[in-house]
Parts: sequence; C-alpha cells; structure tokens
Amino acid sequence: MQTLLKLRLTGTAAALLLSGIAMAQELTVGVQNMSAYLDPGRDFSNVGSQHYFNSFDPLIGKDHSKAESAWTPTGVATSWRQVSPTVMELKIRQGVKFHNGDTMTVEDVQFSLDRIVNFTFPPYGIRKRDTLPNIAKVEVIDAQTIRITATKPEPLFETLLNAQQTMIVPKKYVMGLSGDPSKLEDSDYEAFSLKPVGTGPYKITEFIPNQRLVYERFDGFWGDKAPFKKITLRRIPELTGRITALKSGEVDLITNIPPDQISVIANDTKLKVESTVTPLFHVVIFNTQHPKMTAKIRQALSYAIDRKTLNEALWGGKALVPNTHTYPQFGALFMPELNTFEYNPSKAKQLLKEAGYDGFEIRYDTGSAYYTNALLAAQAIKEMWAEVGVKMRINVDEAWTGNSPEMMSRNWSNPMYYPDPAGSFGVMWSPTGNAASEGRWKPDATFQASWEKFRFSTDLATRKTAYTELMNYVKGDPPVLVLWQPYESYGMKKNLSWKPQPGHIPYVLDFRAGRVRLAGQ
Amino acid sequence: MSAIVDRTSLDPSQPNMPTSDSPNHSQRRFRPDALIAIAALLALILLGAALLAPFIAPFDPDAQRLLARLKPPIGFSGSDARYWLGSDQLGRDMLTRCLYGLRLTLLIALFGAALGLALGALAGLVAGMVGGTVDAIIMGLCDVKIAIPFTLVALLVIAIAGASAVVLVCVLSLAYWAQFARLIRAQVLTIREMPYIEAARAAGATSMRIAIWHVLPNIVSPVIVMFTLNISNLILLESSLSFLGLGVQPPTATLGSMVGLGRDYMATAPWVVASPAILIMLVSLTVMLLGDWLRDHLDVRLRER
Repeated sequence: MQTLLKLRLTGTAAALLLSGIAMAQELTVGVQNMSAYLDPGRDFSNVGSQHYFNSFDPLIGKDHSKAESAWTPTGVATSWRQVSPTVMELKIRQGVKFHNGDTMTVEDVQFSLDRIVNFTFPPYGIRKRDTLPNIAKVEVIDAQTIRITATKPEPLFETLLNAQQTMIVPKKYVMGLSGDPSKLEDSDYEAFSLKPVGTGPYKITEFIPNQRLVYERFDGFWGDKAPFKKITLRRIPELTGRITALKSGEVDLITNIPPDQISVIANDTKLKVESTVTPLFHVVIFNTQHPKMTAKIRQALSYAIDRKTLNEALWGGKALVPNTHTYPQFGALFMPELNTFEYNPSKAKQLLKEAGYDGFEIRYDTGSAYYTNALLAAQAIKEMWAEVGVKMRINVDEAWTGNSPEMMSRNWSNPMYYPDPAGSFGVMWSPTGNAASEGRWKPDATFQASWEKFRFSTDLATRKTAYTELMNYVKGDPPVLVLWQPYESYGMKKNLSWKPQPGHIPYVLDFRAGRVRLAGQ
Repeated sequence: MSAIVDRTSLDPSQPNMPTSDSPNHSQRRFRPDALIAIAALLALILLGAALLAPFIAPFDPDAQRLLARLKPPIGFSGSDARYWLGSDQLGRDMLTRCLYGLRLTLLIALFGAALGLALGALAGLVAGMVGGTVDAIIMGLCDVKIAIPFTLVALLVIAIAGASAVVLVCVLSLAYWAQFARLIRAQVLTIREMPYIEAARAAGATSMRIAIWHVLPNIVSPVIVMFTLNISNLILLESSLSFLGLGVQPPTATLGSMVGLGRDYMATAPWVVASPAILIMLVSLTVMLLGDWLRDHLDVRLRER
C-alpha cells in the first residue's frame, strides 16, 4: 500500500516537473498593439518594430547591449569593406537557411535591398525615399560577395545595412506566393506580409493581423538556438485587460505600462517591472500647408506647451524632455546643447498677436490608446493652449489623419530608426521624408541645402554645423514639437529575465539567445 | 403588483392580515411611502445639482492642476482640501466633473427619451389611426428595430456620423421609439372605437384633429410612465456607450465617460471611477422608483376598483 502511494506520488511529481519544463519552453506576451502586416522592408511603425528581430537578420550585426553603435559580424554578412566613399562590399555568410528550408544566396540579399531601391511596389517607394534615397544599385559580384553603390558619398553604410528595413527575405519564396512564380508582382509582396519568412532564430507559424502572432523555434538557424520553443503574442488593447492577464498568469509579459500603473504590478510579489527611456520621441506635428497654420501660429503653439510639468505629472518625471531633436545613441552627433524647443507662454501670446490669431479652433487629432499617455497629454495640451488664448478641439480618431489636408495638429511619434540624426529626424522631416511625402511639410531651398550638407558629408564637424542649421530652421518654422522620450515599462513574472536592450530601435521584443530566460528552464 | 385583491386577506378574523381599510393594505400594492419620499427627495437633489452645477461647482470642469492629480477624497491620507471628492488623472476636481457630468448625462437622456417619444408617438398614432397597410408597415419596422441588437445600430450610426453629444441624443432616441410606437398604437386602437370619437367624427372633425385633441390627451398616463422608466434605461445606455468611447469626446464628461476613462485607475485611484458610478446608480434607482410609483398610480389596470 505504501509502495503504491509512493509510486503515485513520484509519478505525480514527475508529471508536474515535466509539465513545468514543458511550460518553460513557451512564453506568452500580451501586447497593446499588433501589426496588420509583417514585412520588415515596408514597415516603419512602432508596432511592427516589436516583431521583426526574432525572425529576420540584417546584413550587418550590432551589439545591442550598448546604446552607441558597435557593429559586429553577427548578421548575414561575415565581413565588409567600404571600397570607396560610394561603394560598400560585403561577404555573405554561407549555409544560412530560410524558415521554409531554402538556402539563402547572394541573390536573396540583392533582392532584399533591390526591392526597395528599385521599387515597383508603392510602399517600398516610401521606404526608398525616407531610408535608402542614396542607394543607387545592389550587385552580385560572386557567390559570396555583394556590392552596394550609393549616388553620393555615404557616411552611413553600416548604419543602413543594420536597419530593420534592410533585413533579408527570400526571393524565390516571395515570387512564388501568387500569380506568375517567375515574376515579382504586387500581390506577391502583399502575400508575403501575411506569411513572412526570414532567417532568424524563430519562424512565424501563425499570424492573424491585429490579433495574434506565434513564433516557433527554427531548428535550422545558423546562430545560437532560440531559448523558447514557442512564443505567442496576443493583442490585449485594454490596459486593465493586460494587467489582469499578467496577474492571473494568462501571460508572462505585457507591454506599455504607464507610470501610474507600475505600482499595481510591482507590489505583486510574483511580478516585476522593467523600464527604459525609449529611443523615440512623442511629438506634436503640424500641417505646415494648412492655410491657418502659419509659422508664427505653430511657434506659439510650441512655446505654449510646458513639457517639464507634463513630464512630472504624466511620467513621474521619468521621461526625458530634450531641448532639441537628438539621442545619446547618436554618439558624436548627440547634440543636447542645441535649444530648439522651449516653454515660454509670454512669447506664445506675443506670437499669436503678431500672427493675428482670431480665435479660430485648432483641431488636434489623436488615437484613443495608441501611445502611452497620449489622450491625457492631449487634454493637458488643450488647457495649456487655452491659457495663451488658443481654442483647441480634441478629435479622437483611430484613423491616420497625417496625410489629410484638413489636419492641423496631432500627436505622433518619431522613433530612432537607426542611430544617426538622419535615422530619426531625417526619416520624418528630410526633403524626401515621410512628412514631405504626405504633403504636410515642404521645406524650402535653405533647408534642403543644409540637409544635403548634413546627410552626405563625411566630415563630422560639417555634419554638426549643418544639423545646427536644421534645428534653427525648425525652431523658426516648426513642423514638429518634441515632447519627450517616453518611459516605457514592461510587466512580467518575477522568474522571467528579460529587459529591453539599449542598442535596439524602440519597442523591439528581443527573445533571441542570451536575451531572455525563464527560471526553471 | 397583483391587479386583483386577494379575498382571503380581507378576512378580519385572520390576525394581522391587512384589510381594504387598513393602512397596511397599500403596502401590498404600492411602494412604501417612505421609500418614495426618499426617492423624490433624491430626485430633487440630483435635478437641483444638475441644474445649478455652473453656480455651485467649485471649479471649471476642465481646469487642470497637473501636479495635484489623483488626490484622494478628503478624509483619506494624501488628500487635498480643495478637492472634496478627490482629483482625477489630470488634476481636475471630481466633484465638479461629477456635477457637470450628471448635468450632461441627464440632458442627453432626457432629450434622447423625448426624441424617442416623439418618433414613437408619431409612428404609433399614424399606425393606429390609419390602420391597414400603413399599420402593418410601421409595426413591421418596430419588429425589425426590436430584433436588431441596439449596440450594433449605435456603433454603425456613430461610425458614420462621429461621436458627439448631438449624435448620442439621436442614437439614444432610436433605442425605445418602437416600444413607444407599440404602446401608443395599442392605446389608439382602444380609444378610436369610443363613442366620443364617433361623435367627433360625426361632427366633422378630421383625423388629425381627433388624434391631437381627443386621442392624445387620453393616452398621456401610460406614456408618462413609459417615458419615466425609459429615462432610467437611457441613462444606463448612455453610460455604456460613453464607457466604450462612443459618446462625447474628452475632455467633456458624462458620468459614463468618466467611468470609462477612469477604469485604468480602479486599482490605484478608485475614487475616479466610484464617484460617477455611484451617481449613475443613484440616478437610475431614483428614476426607476419614481417610475414604478407613477405606474402604480396612473395605470388604470392597477387601480383599486
């Protein structure tokens, strides 16, 4: 009888242990937002940036444990050499497999870049203009060598070849997804963005747009094997829903916790919070082409916002309020000494008077829950503008209004797409950037000249001088006001070791080897 | 409420049994007077508060003190003496926001109910007076309306027309018009056969005149009862739609939108949700109690014979 009992207890314990081990192989994440499509070359959203690093590799790798750029041969390129100011050659790693079993070749690398550089699919055209405007051609030299040629001297080759938009995708697979398998069609790219395939440690086995994404360990990965067998990302848009899911054990990790709610999680003995100041700005943008939004009006609206008080109130003082458009990750080009954005309500009132502001209502568009604290900030800004005499109406609209001629002002974000001012300010505000593409920003010849000097000079001092000119221009004719770098927090089980890495672009959920561990695994 | 008095309860030989003459007899059919008195007093207080909000509220409803956000009500540790019911996530006074929110909620519910009544009355009158195909069409529309989930209709209208107080009133008017239409049509069908209607017709009165001067005045009682009861439902409906973000836009507050926008703070600052939620409960309860009382007194089927 006792032997039977012991056997039963041992069996139960073994089952529990095994189930514990089996469960440690899986991770479930509750995310606030989920992408509608998955294509690293097409996407520049904060939502999409969460997903790509687990399934795709860039050409040139990076040490993400450091904020400053430290390039490493941990991408699909094993070495590289800038042959001339306009030419970069790279040696491509052999034996790399795609998730569908195909072997990666130099043709795939060439295709991955060329689909943007010589785009036929319109969304790639936008990326060409805002990210790769200077890349002229991508050539296969031999079975291991790729040559990339720029139009003008390119100081940012390594930076660009590490960017999400230049991650590697399979040519033959994309071509075969629809229509004629020997041709590349728009429908192929659309199909790819619903069934993406890369070379990373996790393959994507399920993707329901805006709802759910499932990664599974890719046993054919060329590098260190993925720590988890399966990772599920579930969209839980409601904050209380995410917190409840974490507390009940339904999920192991949740994103986008505002500072107000950190204590709800941190006070739970089974949970913890990891936070970081994200390399992204929450911004207020203006439609500079709207007839009523003159430069003086926009300047006044900028001067009227007390960002420090907003930071104290909404972020507990933990966000970072910069004086200009710059990040520490820019290294030598980090320029905090510039004074582009200021709070000066008296000056705001004076500018409004000079502009002849007649009390017209300014519409401020915002989503209801896209950015942390966005709706609260909108309401606070409304009162700050009212204090200088400006009437504002908050328009809560989930649709993107940035390309509407009726848009007057709205919130947005300006991420660091790659660690250079061109990869943050430039992607949005360069003469070929997103704002210009959408028609709400038309920088003049002065700005364009400064931009050219900044973007393509290989001399650091020249770049810094030119960037100062650009910031002075923005101060006088603002298309944007930088509010802060938000303090983003993640709630998780106490036995989960994970934190956002300082060298990543914003919001990357990096679950590669060495980045995440569940105790007991 | 039983329509027929239980005869056995009238046996005076039964101890402590109420008789038709005993004061306790009314308790079996109507709400206790004390409860109605409390409800009436509460209704007056709430209505008074809503009407006088601009004069009695200590602050502007949108005035923010960002560095005084999420202060608890007085009596709790960390409270600010200026904010009797505490402050919300933007440092706005909860008491002021509740007063203005109550005002707007009642306005929206009242106008929504009135518009619904007008729509329903028109439909019911026309259906009852004209009859035939017109009656069948209108009643068919009523059936369709009742069959479709209202939230779906609300979502569709708001998606097309946008979220605002005016749209919300129009949406709420669609909630119960069919019930009004059916009630009024049923009343009209009864009344139109009355001898005084025949007499009016014989005297040369038009259908319109008969409807307005002879039919409508005789169906006021049940309509008032339904109107009152529907206000309570509309307050809850408005609160639900605003909670979902389909009502007025921030920073304007209704009680429902305050609960909706404050729900993230339930664990850390529950007063942000509790104050408007309690008000919603009080208003709904008061209106329901008074509506029941009105029904008991005005509904002829419940009157003692």
